[in-house]
Amino acid sequence: MVILMGNIQEENKNIEHSMKEVAYNLLKNKEVDLIIGYAKGTIPLSSSPSFIINQKDVDNLIWDNLCHVNLARYVVPPITKIIDNENIPLKVGIVSKGCVGRSLIHLAKENQVNLENIKIIGISCNGIINRKRIEKELGEKEIIELSVMNSEIIAKGVDFVKTFFFDDYLNESCKKCKIKAPPMVSSQSNVIVGGSVESSSGEDDFSDLTEHESKTPEEKWQTIVELLSPCTRCYACREACPMCYCNLCFVDQNKPIWFGKTTDMSDIVSFHLVRAMHVAGRCVACGSCSSACPMGIDLTFITRKLEKIVKQRFDFTSGLSFDILPPMMTQKMNDKEDFMIGEH
Amino acid sequence: MKKVGSVLVVGAGIGGSQASLDLGDAGYKVYLVESTTSIGGVMAQLDKTFPTNDCAMCIVSPKLVETGRHQNVDLFINVEILDVKGEAGNFTVKILKKTLHVNVDKCTGCGICGRECPVEAIDIFNEGLARHSATSVKYPQAVPLVYAINRDYCIGCGICLGVCKAKAVEYGMEDEIMEINVGAIILAPGFDEYIPPEGNKYGYGKFKNVVTSIEFERILSASGPYSGKILRPSDGDVPEKVAFLQCIGSRDYRDGQPYCSSVCCMYTTKEAIIAKEHMNLLNPTIFSMDIRAYGKDFDKYIHRAQEEYGVRYIRSRISHLEEDPKTQDLIVTYEDETGIIAKEMYNLAVLSVGLNPPNDAVYLSEKFGVDLNEFNFVRTDIFNPVQTSRAGIFACGAFTSPKDIPETVTQASAAAGCVNQLLHDQRGTLITEKSLPPEIFVAGQPPRIGAFICHCGINIGGYVDVPEVTRYAGTLPNVVLADRNLYTCSADTQTIIKEKIKEYNLNRVIVASCTPRTHEPLFQETIREAGLNRYLFQMANIRDQCSWVHMHEPEEATRKAKDLIRMAVNSAREIQPLERIRLSVTPKVLVIGGGISGMVAARNLAFQEFETYLIEKGSVLGGHARNIYTTLEGGNVQEYLSNLINEINSNKLIHVYTQAKIENIEGYIGNFKTSIIHGEKKEKVKFKHGVVIVATGADEYEPTEFLYGKDDRIIKQSEFEKLINTTDDIRKKKSVVMIQCVGSRNTEHPYCSRMCCAEAIKNAIKTKELNPETEVIILYRDIRTYGFKELYYRKAREAGIFFIRFDETKPPEVRVEKDNLKIIVENPKIGKISIDSDMIVLSVGIVANGVENEEMGKMLKVPLNEDNFYLEAHVKLRPVEFATEGIFLAGLSHCPKSIEDSISQANAAVSRACTILSKDEIEAEGKVACIDITRCSGCGMCVENCAYNAIELILDRRFGLVASINQVLCKGCGACSGNCRCSAIDILGFTGEQIYEMITGRVE
Amino acid sequence: MNEAAIENKGEIKQWNPKIIAFLCNWCSYAGADLAGVSRIQYPPTIRVVRVPCSGRINPFFIIKSLMDGWDGVVVSGCHPGDCHYISGNLVARRRFAILKDLLDFFGIEPERVQFMWASAAEGERFAVLIKKITKLMRKVGPNDRFKKKW
Repeated sequence: MVILMGNIQEENKNIEHSMKEVAYNLLKNKEVDLIIGYAKGTIPLSSSPSFIINQKDVDNLIWDNLCHVNLARYVVPPITKIIDNENIPLKVGIVSKGCVGRSLIHLAKENQVNLENIKIIGISCNGIINRKRIEKELGEKEIIELSVMNSEIIAKGVDFVKTFFFDDYLNESCKKCKIKAPPMVSSQSNVIVGGSVESSSGEDDFSDLTEHESKTPEEKWQTIVELLSPCTRCYACREACPMCYCNLCFVDQNKPIWFGKTTDMSDIVSFHLVRAMHVAGRCVACGSCSSACPMGIDLTFITRKLEKIVKQRFDFTSGLSFDILPPMMTQKMNDKEDFMIGEH
Repeated sequence: MKKVGSVLVVGAGIGGSQASLDLGDAGYKVYLVESTTSIGGVMAQLDKTFPTNDCAMCIVSPKLVETGRHQNVDLFINVEILDVKGEAGNFTVKILKKTLHVNVDKCTGCGICGRECPVEAIDIFNEGLARHSATSVKYPQAVPLVYAINRDYCIGCGICLGVCKAKAVEYGMEDEIMEINVGAIILAPGFDEYIPPEGNKYGYGKFKNVVTSIEFERILSASGPYSGKILRPSDGDVPEKVAFLQCIGSRDYRDGQPYCSSVCCMYTTKEAIIAKEHMNLLNPTIFSMDIRAYGKDFDKYIHRAQEEYGVRYIRSRISHLEEDPKTQDLIVTYEDETGIIAKEMYNLAVLSVGLNPPNDAVYLSEKFGVDLNEFNFVRTDIFNPVQTSRAGIFACGAFTSPKDIPETVTQASAAAGCVNQLLHDQRGTLITEKSLPPEIFVAGQPPRIGAFICHCGINIGGYVDVPEVTRYAGTLPNVVLADRNLYTCSADTQTIIKEKIKEYNLNRVIVASCTPRTHEPLFQETIREAGLNRYLFQMANIRDQCSWVHMHEPEEATRKAKDLIRMAVNSAREIQPLERIRLSVTPKVLVIGGGISGMVAARNLAFQEFETYLIEKGSVLGGHARNIYTTLEGGNVQEYLSNLINEINSNKLIHVYTQAKIENIEGYIGNFKTSIIHGEKKEKVKFKHGVVIVATGADEYEPTEFLYGKDDRIIKQSEFEKLINTTDDIRKKKSVVMIQCVGSRNTEHPYCSRMCCAEAIKNAIKTKELNPETEVIILYRDIRTYGFKELYYRKAREAGIFFIRFDETKPPEVRVEKDNLKIIVENPKIGKISIDSDMIVLSVGIVANGVENEEMGKMLKVPLNEDNFYLEAHVKLRPVEFATEGIFLAGLSHCPKSIEDSISQANAAVSRACTILSKDEIEAEGKVACIDITRCSGCGMCVENCAYNAIELILDRRFGLVASINQVLCKGCGACSGNCRCSAIDILGFTGEQIYEMITGRVE
Repeated sequence: MNEAAIENKGEIKQWNPKIIAFLCNWCSYAGADLAGVSRIQYPPTIRVVRVPCSGRINPFFIIKSLMDGWDGVVVSGCHPGDCHYISGNLVARRRFAILKDLLDFFGIEPERVQFMWASAAEGERFAVLIKKITKLMRKVGPNDRFKKKW
């Protein structure tokens, strides 16, 4: 467990301050043409991605424990092509917590971003608050202000103040996150601002999955059905994921139509199953899919399993290095084959 | 006499098959003759192969099928050579085709005759451990799959005649004599294993639990007599303790052959490993004199056997076996290295029998007029191990000397390479291109499917309700014709199929019968003759995978047959005609490396009038061979080398560039573009070529141990060779000590450098010849004088050269003292010995140039092994080529080897290259990957997954970075497609849509 | 042979799961052929789809088969090292390892989707494994959990 030192909110403020300074200078020195960061959202307690080209707008940038979006999503074609009128790529500064940085590294490995055009404004992240869970627990009560003090989240409304223990109300993926800031990429003059750059140590034991994994298939299926049955097939999870950059998603393909678009449980499960298959060995567990889900489905339940599979089978963690091929791009003669059937 | 563009290949084991395929592919007419009734030889009998433990049948059977079907290869089984006349370029050969009593053209290999035959006869293939009927095939996967009646056992009851629905049995069939005219002959009769004679000391033939290694190989095989279970013959018990006895019939002057059989140490280790894998409680012990693991990655294999499988090696030659009459266990008495005598009990003893020349060697030598050596192996040229004593007749494989599969395959291609050199101007003169009608245009038409369902005599019809299945097939959508035949593969049915295609306007054909693995090409050919694209075809396997495996459940079998046919029809509906991509070939060659291998390749190619660019990084040609004066066998290397260099330099078709470095190579098979800089002035040259031969050689290890460099009396073997060949200094030396395995077989270089033992013995003998007074001592770990080199080992011992063994863990110690050198060595039996000497010779190993190889590997996109030698496409069957097509490999850069073997490999690389260079255009297989770039996002996963470097990323004007598939390089495996998230890649012939249709659309 | 006959007679009244089997052309398909040539009997439960290599098999095929109501899926390729296409089976093995783990996590009975190796010489092994898989599949019963309802 990560022990949080000092006042998280204060730490975030400091980070925000230095981040603005770095962003300002990058624009001023023409090192970048564009800064992608976070700004206050239009509704309370939200943040939204912000695209800044003028130094004067840098002040709109924010950094707090609600900045859930994985900004790497905004530099990946075909969604976004950051080019000028002459089709020449622009230089982009991107505010990157650990998972954003890792996404960028992995995306570069898959030829989706050119890191030469990117300045990673690396910041150390303390985790993203699971806003939906807090809202759910408060029921009808509307939160006006959310702040973090010492190890507590303080939710204020018109007629109430309620506190939540910070560590318990983080996104599930953040609770287990060991890589707070972007891994340093050689060849890249990263700018790391703010707090602890060192990743916290210790092996992830994936103990959070043990309970589910020890269930019978029937029980597992029930859990999955309960988890996924609210799914309306809106694909917000897919749209939020920086790794889902296919021109045409498998679920939208015809000739043949492998998977249906209905909300039959078989179709829902197969969508999430195949999507999981497709992000295996690539997912950086940023939790954007969960945060984006309007139905509040906690998809990190599945991404945690992915992390575990690739770690335990292939000793791989996504987005840490340029030098190691992701597991699906390579193979080894002595890969484990305990899952296969034999005569005995 | 006029030269003839055809070749006779004698013996259709792996060597003969490889030579035939090479020559057939290069445009020669090949007559492949085999004395038994099917091809495949010994390799088809093996369970696994070392050092990769590949399944022998898996890797050899596609090659055999290809040989059996090759349009330029005529295969004759059960033949005998009667007479050979003529000379190089034009021979006339008379051949006796002995009757099988079965009409080869009619027999469908269905096997009813064999099952009904009441007479038991010995099954040769399973080494007499199982029984077959008098009508039989050698083994289930035999090529050609034709039954033969063994008249020695046949009682003429006529049952087979009655049951054969194909009317293939002809009791009255007579022998036939055939005369053929060929330009060259390749002899590949293989070997016969040594059989311990009656009254042998090991009790073979008397003690039930003593088997030979080849019998044990069949016991191990999943398709062998005990279905892969290891049981001992006396009581069918699992043997817990198994003893392997090495050198049975080899290195044996009394009862066997004096030479080393080269492969036994390795195959025994393999058998021990596989046995252990099959039954974990088994404990194998190998008794041997030396462990001769001299080949590529062999030492690692031995190491694995010891470390991972617990195989026990004991250095001792076993002279006899005793049997415990009660248990029928065997008692082994041995003296170990330290001199202790022990007795041990084993449940089973395996005799690792040696390789003898083929039993009919003398007959062959007389018929073909070729010389044999003293042991009745064919005598070959000292620098060209595939050239026999008669011009125009070549030999390969174990007939030239005992050897393993990759060396046999290499020699087979080398022999083909020499034939190419001899007959190049006759290439393509005797082969006929089949004239085919133009293809009917079917794209866009609604599918009209014809389904032909086979009874296969009673093989299918006896268990599956064929009329019902046919009725059902007729009800499936788009099926306009459902017909059934007694034998769909018979010649008359082919005519029927062609007629029906016309009559019903069929544009897709399905056949429900046996396995597509053997029969698909036949039916494809038939529909092509009727004007349909050959890919508009689909098979349903309702025999091998249905009627034969559900013989007691006719209803279920019928249901399954219907399902399989429906799936085939569903798939057929989605098939599109495919085209085979054609690409032009630039008939020029880039040879990288100007050593012996590179030069031999260049000379052969230029002789065939292919323009060749030979580039050498050094300033002179010659490479490693410049340090070698003679071969162990007495060949004059310097003379050979200077002649070769002269030939290279005077040949106008060879462009030699020295001090050359490759700047860039781009392109692919048939169409490479290379730019180099060469010479002192670093001039730039660019040229186009169709293939690449990599022969970059390797380096001598520079020792740091044994005080090398600290005292000028401590020298390398090559320096010593120079000394004794160019000076008289040796006469002054009282004592010379040679230390083996310097820089080999250690943690840094965990492989054997193969030639050091031979080099040491060669120079030791020479030293003795120059000055018999000089004492020569060789300190060794194993003496690896494989094959006939063993004779020189004996010669050296007879000449008074001392051999002292030391253990890997206790290397000798060298001290420089005032007047002489002192060596302290510890021998396991004698203990510590101190030797005074005035010269120490270090037998240094061969090391790959890791930096250069890696750079070249990246440029050519070819891999290296762990020791930085190049990694060939397949260790066993594709030893001289890379997985990337059009790039070949020869010489030391592949692994340490002798000059003769390098020459063989060079000629083999040329032969493989000729299969490409001989064509104006090369044709790719139709079933390859194709890409939809609108879906591709250029992630590059397919590029990494492709084992053939067939995919690269390119920048498309509209779609950005996307994958691009070179369909000429693509083999159609689909590894790319299986991983592609965007479904951008599909495999033609196995498309996603076809598979989707097979999965879905079920009728309950 | 007699033993197999009795065993089969015993099984004949049992429920026969419908299993789709994807076999690579060079090893497993050849192994299945060899089982036939050797007349080794096994339950009539599999329907074979021949593919060039186990590397060809996209997870789509397997998931779709389950959705479409096949009771089980078998994928069989060449043993590691034997692949006709050098490393196609190794690429496939990684893919299948992930898929198998995920299917298990999602609550698809692990018996339902089986991955195996069988060489061209292993007719016996092929039959033994199909028998074993059939037995396992009978234990878990028909696939109605993942089958598409409408």
